[in-house]
Amino acid sequence: MSLLGLFGIAKSAIFASQTSLSLTSHNIANVNTPGFSRREALYAVANPVSFGGNLLGSGVTISGIRRYYDRFLQTQLWDQHQNYGKSYALNQTLSQIEQVFNEAKNIGLSVPLTDFFSAWQEVATNPEGFTQRSGLLLKADSLVLTAKQMERGITQTLSSMNETMDTIVDRVNAIASEIALINGKIVQTEAGTTAGTAHDLRDQRDSLLNELSNLIDFSYYEEENGSITIMAGMRNLVSGETTNILSTRINEEGGKDIYLDGMDITGNVKKGQLGGLIAVWDTIRTNSLNGLQRLIASLIKEINILHRAGYGLDGTTDNDFFDPLQLSVKDFSAGADMTATITDFSQLTLDEYSIQFDSANNYYVYNKQTGALVTSGAYASGAPISFDGIEIVVTGAVTSADKFTVSPLADVIKNFEVAITDQQKIAAASSDTTLPGDNSNALLIAELSENAISNLDDATFFSYYRGLVSTIGSASRAASDSLTFDDNLLSELNAKRESISGVSLDEEAANLIRFQRSFEAGAKMIQISDELLQTLLSL
Amino acid sequence: MRITSFMVFSQLANALKRNMEDFAKLNSQLASGKKIEKPSDDVIGMMRSLDYRLSINNTGQYKRNIDEAAFHLQFTGEVLGSVANSLLELKELISIGGNAQSQENRSFYAGQAARWRDFLLDLSNTKLRERYIFSGYQTNQKAFTYNSTTYHYDYNGDLGEINVLLDTEATLSLNIPGSNAFSFTMNGQLPTQLPDGTPINYTQSTDPSTGITTTTVEIGNAGDPEYDTFTFSNVMDMANILSFAFEYKDVDGSDLNADPDIQEEMALHRMAALSLPLDDARNQGLNVQAEIGTRQVHLNDQKTRLESSALNLTNALSKTEDADMEETITEILKTETALDALRESASRILSQSLMDFLK
Repeated sequence: MSLLGLFGIAKSAIFASQTSLSLTSHNIANVNTPGFSRREALYAVANPVSFGGNLLGSGVTISGIRRYYDRFLQTQLWDQHQNYGKSYALNQTLSQIEQVFNEAKNIGLSVPLTDFFSAWQEVATNPEGFTQRSGLLLKADSLVLTAKQMERGITQTLSSMNETMDTIVDRVNAIASEIALINGKIVQTEAGTTAGTAHDLRDQRDSLLNELSNLIDFSYYEEENGSITIMAGMRNLVSGETTNILSTRINEEGGKDIYLDGMDITGNVKKGQLGGLIAVWDTIRTNSLNGLQRLIASLIKEINILHRAGYGLDGTTDNDFFDPLQLSVKDFSAGADMTATITDFSQLTLDEYSIQFDSANNYYVYNKQTGALVTSGAYASGAPISFDGIEIVVTGAVTSADKFTVSPLADVIKNFEVAITDQQKIAAASSDTTLPGDNSNALLIAELSENAISNLDDATFFSYYRGLVSTIGSASRAASDSLTFDDNLLSELNAKRESISGVSLDEEAANLIRFQRSFEAGAKMIQISDELLQTLLSL
Repeated sequence: MRITSFMVFSQLANALKRNMEDFAKLNSQLASGKKIEKPSDDVIGMMRSLDYRLSINNTGQYKRNIDEAAFHLQFTGEVLGSVANSLLELKELISIGGNAQSQENRSFYAGQAARWRDFLLDLSNTKLRERYIFSGYQTNQKAFTYNSTTYHYDYNGDLGEINVLLDTEATLSLNIPGSNAFSFTMNGQLPTQLPDGTPINYTQSTDPSTGITTTTVEIGNAGDPEYDTFTFSNVMDMANILSFAFEYKDVDGSDLNADPDIQEEMALHRMAALSLPLDDARNQGLNVQAEIGTRQVHLNDQKTRLESSALNLTNALSKTEDADMEETITEILKTETALDALRESASRILSQSLMDFLK
């Protein structure tokens, strides 16, 4: 071994220390970068040289750079991000809806509904009193107003959920194209080297996947060349450097369906914020919105039936107290039209119906709530079809793809108004010969508040409403509990990840000293080698 | 476990966040005084408090109904007391004025009877606020008016009973129809002759739609010169007949008979014939008053019951939804202590770094 060889060993030591020092400063610089995995230089003994039959060491080499990273933990983390995203969406929307029914702050129907029936008792106690009558009209108005406000609160939340879904879908598309871009770069960078060396790009991609998993649930696998394929709802979102576009479409109920590459994947999106929103949209529509509509519809129906039978102070009868129920028809047909009228209010079930046809020109009427077939028969254009107090008339040619829905609920709160403007027409009496002191009809209406209502599954108005509040309260509670749970689990997993991949400043400080010293020692080696050389040269 | 800088920070941030959340929640409980601020805070408690509030509201309404009914009944009772007094006075008139001979005396008693008659009419047409209280459902009609064709007093009301709700199922009528208070049916063994032996016959018929009983009185045998018949259907009719009888006249103002002796005899017979119905009318009035008394007792009982249940409900409601102030404040102090400790320990952990010791 030559003396100059000593220079080589010393130089390798200095270079190695320098590499470690630069990695340490990179680590320190990224101490607060989310998703950063710390690095460490891997040292190896340099190939020995043969000298006089003996193998002598030739210093140190950097065999590679290690990225502290646990793939299994990262997968768990993405899973948990998906759960967290779902709980987050549920909690956000349900706590908004809960505010619509916040009876703890006297927001909601409970007070106006109680006041309304109390006002009927006041009329019953003083059937000829104008004060009591106008009091009743005021209370009825405030009931109408509250119901409308509540419906608006719910529908606004629903439409803002639709907007959120659009925003999320846009963000998913943006993330997908970024990942596709990074995929390309990773393939380029790692070409010809061992897979997994493009550390910074991989960290970047993992961060994006973190964000993506918060939005939507996906599965993925890594190709041999380092790019990853991401699948959402069983279809490719990202494959290598190409992406498919995620989009939304309005569905029959007014909600959003999710399409990937033109295919409906709504049913397969279960987690992430998007999955949460899809799930809770339906819950809110069927429980809170339809529940409220059904309550108001049955109130209109029951009050009107009794009120029409009574007599006002002016001797008139057959007056509606609230504007009568109307049917709303939705037409999903190509060339047919349908009209629907209510023939018997007392027979109404307040359920929604769908009318479908088969290729043999038969019609089928289904109850959308129970799914039961209500009636069926041979279709004839213009022939009335009657069921459950409703009469429909379909005209035109129908095909098996045509469909109509008829609902007494859809517009009920929109059309909810007090029909009586003249307080004389409030029907407190049961006969026109017993005016004005007769209060028996007012008593019947006042007692309605305690009656079991068949359209509300034999609950009273109040207990049905209480059911609505309790459903939304329980759901909101469950959502906030699971958000807390998922949040804790996520922090736990994040802590685990940080424990492996995170930067510890103390450790890095120690490393700084360590590599400074080894750098100094290497430098000393060069100095000594130089002195040795001088000694030789001055001989 | 390897602890990194980020872990320390995020743990601290989480702990601070949780503590501040607790703090904010307790603070808002303290501010509102309620421990349930939205349904999800305590779903079951919220349902219970909704139930309690509904019951408290209903109880309040029932109490208002009871107050209204009690006011009506008390007022009606007082009016009926005056009716009974008037009837007693009329009876007195018969016994002291029945054998008055002089024209002046008879006119005086006739005037007296007419005065009581008009007073009774006033009583029957008593108004409470805008409501004639003895007209059944026809509360905008005077209960009784004088019919100048038949010379009788007609009932314009009906049998309507204005019911109010005292509880979920219980109702009670707050009025007494005029046909019940001012008309009556004579019960028991009716006399067949007057004290002087003249045969007498009372025939009664009740109109089912108004409840008014018309009594036809026949005195003497048909065909006799002193044979007499007259009808009355209420106490005003009776007072009216009596007033004219003092003057030996019929209700239309004509003499009872051309012969003064027969005239006097017929008038005295009329007075004697009215004596018994007057008693019965007074008894009827007392019965109605007793009925009112029973209703008032019922109302009182119900009100007491409602008041005690309202008190229970209010207590239960307060227990369910009101925050316990001492407990909340203690909790706040506890959270504050925890928060202080957290800050203290955080400041120590965060300031520790090896960097500080390197020079």
